[in-house]
Amino acid sequence: MSKNKRVKKPVRTTWYKLDLSAIVYPTLQRRDFSSVYRLSVLLKEPVKPDVLQKAVDMVLPRFPTYKSAIRKGLFWRYLEPNNRPGPFVQRDINNPCMPMPFKANNRYLLRIYYYDCRISLEAHHSLGDGTGGMYLLQTITAQYLRELGASIRCGGFVLDIHEEPDPGELEDAYMRYSNADVRPPRPSEKTYRVRGTKEPFYTLNIINGILSAQEVKKVAKTYHVTITEYLNAVLLYALLQKQESENPHRRLPVRIAMPVNLRRFFPSKTLRNFITMIYPSVDPRLGEYTFEEIVLHVHNYMQYYINEKLLRGDITTNAATQRHPLIRIVPLFLKDFVVRLFYTRVQDKNSSAGLTNMGALKVPEDMIPYLERFDICMGQPFSSRTNCAIISFQDALTIGFASSIKEADVERYFFRKLVQDGIHVTIESNRETS
Amino acid sequence: MSYCVHCGVELDPSLKKCPLCNTPVLDPNNIPYFETSSPYPAQRGKVEPVRRKDVAIFVSVLLLTISLTCGLLNRLVFSRNLWSLLVIGFCLIIWVICIPFIFYRKLTPYFAVLLDGLAVSFYLYLISRLTGSADWLYYLGLPITLLFTLLLEIFMLLTLKLSHSFFSVTLYIFSLIPLSCIGIELLCRNFLGSPMRITWSAIVLTVCIVFIIAIVTIILLPRVREEARRRLHF
Repeated sequence: MSKNKRVKKPVRTTWYKLDLSAIVYPTLQRRDFSSVYRLSVLLKEPVKPDVLQKAVDMVLPRFPTYKSAIRKGLFWRYLEPNNRPGPFVQRDINNPCMPMPFKANNRYLLRIYYYDCRISLEAHHSLGDGTGGMYLLQTITAQYLRELGASIRCGGFVLDIHEEPDPGELEDAYMRYSNADVRPPRPSEKTYRVRGTKEPFYTLNIINGILSAQEVKKVAKTYHVTITEYLNAVLLYALLQKQESENPHRRLPVRIAMPVNLRRFFPSKTLRNFITMIYPSVDPRLGEYTFEEIVLHVHNYMQYYINEKLLRGDITTNAATQRHPLIRIVPLFLKDFVVRLFYTRVQDKNSSAGLTNMGALKVPEDMIPYLERFDICMGQPFSSRTNCAIISFQDALTIGFASSIKEADVERYFFRKLVQDGIHVTIESNRETS
Repeated sequence: MSYCVHCGVELDPSLKKCPLCNTPVLDPNNIPYFETSSPYPAQRGKVEPVRRKDVAIFVSVLLLTISLTCGLLNRLVFSRNLWSLLVIGFCLIIWVICIPFIFYRKLTPYFAVLLDGLAVSFYLYLISRLTGSADWLYYLGLPITLLFTLLLEIFMLLTLKLSHSFFSVTLYIFSLIPLSCIGIELLCRNFLGSPMRITWSAIVLTVCIVFIIAIVTIILLPRVREEARRRLHF
């Protein structure tokens, strides 16, 4: 070969702007906090780590926005393809959703764990929301089972790893749909905040309740509401009880921050964030609420807010900030400072707890016999409170509470109410109860 | 299978207490429930430390290069006096200030401030070598550096060990400002051979006392404190 013919490194032209939600998450990054969520699948056989690693290596190139690293620009952060080795599967740990420094783990914003029959995926929220993560987890699980000899067809959350990624999967869908003519203002009010003894760094208390989806549906039906509305009402009821036990004389509104999956209303294949928040709440200063009144209130709130029109207005309000030319030219470090200040002083105080419902999961028919159930963990809360996440598969409905405080009062009030309503609850926990 | 007698929930066989209310699981038949493996692993994880080596190397090399090139320039071209000592000393101060941020994050803030004080003292010593006079160093430069190091240590101690709310920090600042002014004035008078009394620093002290009393009143009266917080929030 001639000396002049040097092999040139390909010019790196691929990079991805962070989507509208993803802009906020890296700003909140602290030494002891990252916006990380966890999705787990329980198989019927113990997991083989070498096969799982092979499956991860085969699947990840199909998800370019997940096989990426986050970088800082002058004005915004962005994602660029990450060709470093990894991410490597590791044995699971007792304290999930640990902080995820951007420069650690070969710059991957993903962790994949195995323990006994469980495969867990932890992802930084700046890569995508729970739906995007579920596509990745199910595709990895399907490939893992294929490697073990099973025949699993693609469909639902399982993508074809031999296909090129669809451009629609990588889009920032907010920008496509934030086109309302008005920008409705967002209500903001100081709400009740759960007080508790903060756990030391590196501790995340998990309490998982496993229920029968049919049983919960039956009980929700007696109140003439959906499962999500019923469980929202139970959480509000638990928070009201907690506030009453702490300080019955100083009452504040109790509000839940609940992400809504916008794909239900705006067609999009995106694997990135496409959610917006709604805030069902009750104000005990107006009078004492019975549980039936809370259920009705939550039902009416959801009926009013969860529709294409109001959600479009909401995402238009959010997008307006990012589109504003004056905001765009402000250097990143100033944006970080302002966003962090706003989040700590306003946004974080705007809700008493978080609740997300991934809903009933659909998996390909061929995969069902190999799966026991799915678990979900919303991750470490930004301040000392508790987050609740719900997921269901077949008849197994899992409610996962994650908190970084010692007391489990909210969880206790929540599950006791379910038991009072005649629902059988099985509890699992990583709390040290010995 | 065990149920919590208070909460009514079924407990995973690995649990010895109800995680919701801490009620112990007591099984009259003494079934060895605790031998069942937990659905959660016992091993705890730790975040992989981030490599800050590259930034540390870059900063060190940059400062060292500046010092060396200035030293050479001083020796070979502009060699009338040892002006490069000022640049080298300044680079050293920056390097010492960077230690807790880049090189060694576990360094306690108290020790970091002490190191900064030492670096500034060394810089003043270099200036005195360059100017050939030492009086101002021993009677003014070093005592003022010592005073500021001491006050900074006290500020650190107060903010880290006591309250670090907005009003408390403001109170600490308004308490330490008059102390530093009085110290500077007395040291200047001592150096100049003037009578040892306070003049302009007394004005600063008076103003600060007014602020201190106002802030203490705000802190002690919850209603005023809430009102002030609301009006001054940012």
